[in-house]
Amino acid sequence: MHAPPIPKPFDPMSVADDASPATATEPVIDIRNLSFYYGDFQALKDITLPLNRNEVTAFIGPSGCGKSTLLRVLNRIYDLYPRQRAEGEVVIDGRNILDARTDVNLLRARVGMVFQKPTPFPMSIYENIAFGIRLYEKLGKVEMDERIERALQRTSLWGEVKDKLRQSGISLSGGQQQRLCIARAIALNPEVLLLDEPTSALDPIATGRIEQLIEELKGDYTIVIVTHNMQQAARVSNRTAFLYMGELVEYGATAKIFTKPTKRQTEDYISGRFG
Amino acid sequence: MNASATSALERRPSLRYRRRYLTNLLGWTFYGVFFAVLAFALLDIIAVVLKHGIPAISLELFTKPTNGVSGGLLNAIIGTFLLTFGSLLLAAPVGILGGIYVAEYTASPFARAARYLSDVLVGVPSIVFGLFGYLAMVTWLGWHFSLLAGCITLALMIIPYILRTTELAFRGVVSELREAAYALGASHAKVTLKVILRACRGRVLTGVLLAMAISMGETAPLIYTVNWSNYVWGGHLTHEPVGYLTYVVWSFINEPFDSAHALAYAAALLVTVFVLVITTSTRLLLSRLDTHKPH
Repeated sequence: MHAPPIPKPFDPMSVADDASPATATEPVIDIRNLSFYYGDFQALKDITLPLNRNEVTAFIGPSGCGKSTLLRVLNRIYDLYPRQRAEGEVVIDGRNILDARTDVNLLRARVGMVFQKPTPFPMSIYENIAFGIRLYEKLGKVEMDERIERALQRTSLWGEVKDKLRQSGISLSGGQQQRLCIARAIALNPEVLLLDEPTSALDPIATGRIEQLIEELKGDYTIVIVTHNMQQAARVSNRTAFLYMGELVEYGATAKIFTKPTKRQTEDYISGRFG
Repeated sequence: MNASATSALERRPSLRYRRRYLTNLLGWTFYGVFFAVLAFALLDIIAVVLKHGIPAISLELFTKPTNGVSGGLLNAIIGTFLLTFGSLLLAAPVGILGGIYVAEYTASPFARAARYLSDVLVGVPSIVFGLFGYLAMVTWLGWHFSLLAGCITLALMIIPYILRTTELAFRGVVSELREAAYALGASHAKVTLKVILRACRGRVLTGVLLAMAISMGETAPLIYTVNWSNYVWGGHLTHEPVGYLTYVVWSFINEPFDSAHALAYAAALLVTVFVLVITTSTRLLLSRLDTHKPH
């Protein structure tokens, strides 16, 4: 075959959880001059933002500011909708993932996503996790069982579900469902986890458990969380990006953003003057 | 409470409130009357069928074929099941796959055409399907009155129904579930067949079973395509007319014989019971498979 060389697709398995003892400031995702459009409406304007490895970055801002849109660019889930398009660059490992030649399925194995409403698939707890693994690997029963147990243990769900793995994932409580969705994502050994308001449909206790989980997971994964709860952003994140009307207003260490913001708009927002 | 102030309950209601109350009362009265009319019609039909049908039930019905206007209904019972399952076997795969296509490729011109044509077909009177079957298969293809002509005619009638219910079932699945499956890197086919179809299988199955109930209760498409036979089906797909229950209801009730009337009511009772069993099991199944109910 004489087809032009196709860039080697991402290999989700080449990067194991512990294979990257990199410094805490190395960007794993580098967003450069990103603009995003819903049809004719520009939802993101020239965003430049490096996301650091093994840190938790929070996107905050009032409704409609573009924080979820920005998250949805990072695994190209917006591709599902024909009138949505992104311009600029999102660089992972030296490659621009917005490039049309990117294999989005392999990208999504590396960049997992958890949604606002828990989305267990209509199958057993076991199958919910096995579904994702089987998309990439053919495992024997013993190996598969181990992988599933590990994912469930990692999300502190194992103790609660180990005797009912064959029950429907939908039979779990909302908080358990959300942890199942996180387990499903990390079972693929991703590098990045995108969390789109993961606790906004949960009660305070379930929310606390998810926040605790984020704390535990951040050593192994780069986590990006969209939240409209500023206390949550302050509690769980290392860095915070404040977006307003599609623009990145301020980005920096969470402690600094919440105590000494440099921009007036940031200060107004975090002090509750608007939003 | 202050003695001079009257509580809201003691106060004389305002004119506006009294008018609201009256309108409300009027509305409920209308609902009640129309519900009673509908319920009465249904109950009356069931009562008549039960009243005349139950005395006509005997063991002979299930063991002997029809003999003129007497005998049993074995030939018709077997024929009804053959026609119902035969048409379902043809219609379900086409209808379900078509429905998935139409739901998943909304914008394709082919999907739009399929959706439009099914809407047209749903509105076509069933006797027209019968005539089509007669002209196309019984005469032009030379199959004569036959099981196959009847099954295909019934299938054509219920395909649009299954297609549309499948499409609606697919569209009823929340987009979050779809996105969640894509977010794991699943392909379109995997998302559609492993996740979405599973999430709405109860509704898809409901459409299929209701279509089955419809085809079981049909007479008009069969009169011109299957005709009638006093004999139990002999195993030929073409060139052999077949008996079926709705024919007995439609035709024997006009015969001037008590035995014919008894058979007609017995057949009506059987069809009613079969359809009732199908729709009831559908509801039970749906409540068990409808996995997206709230906690």
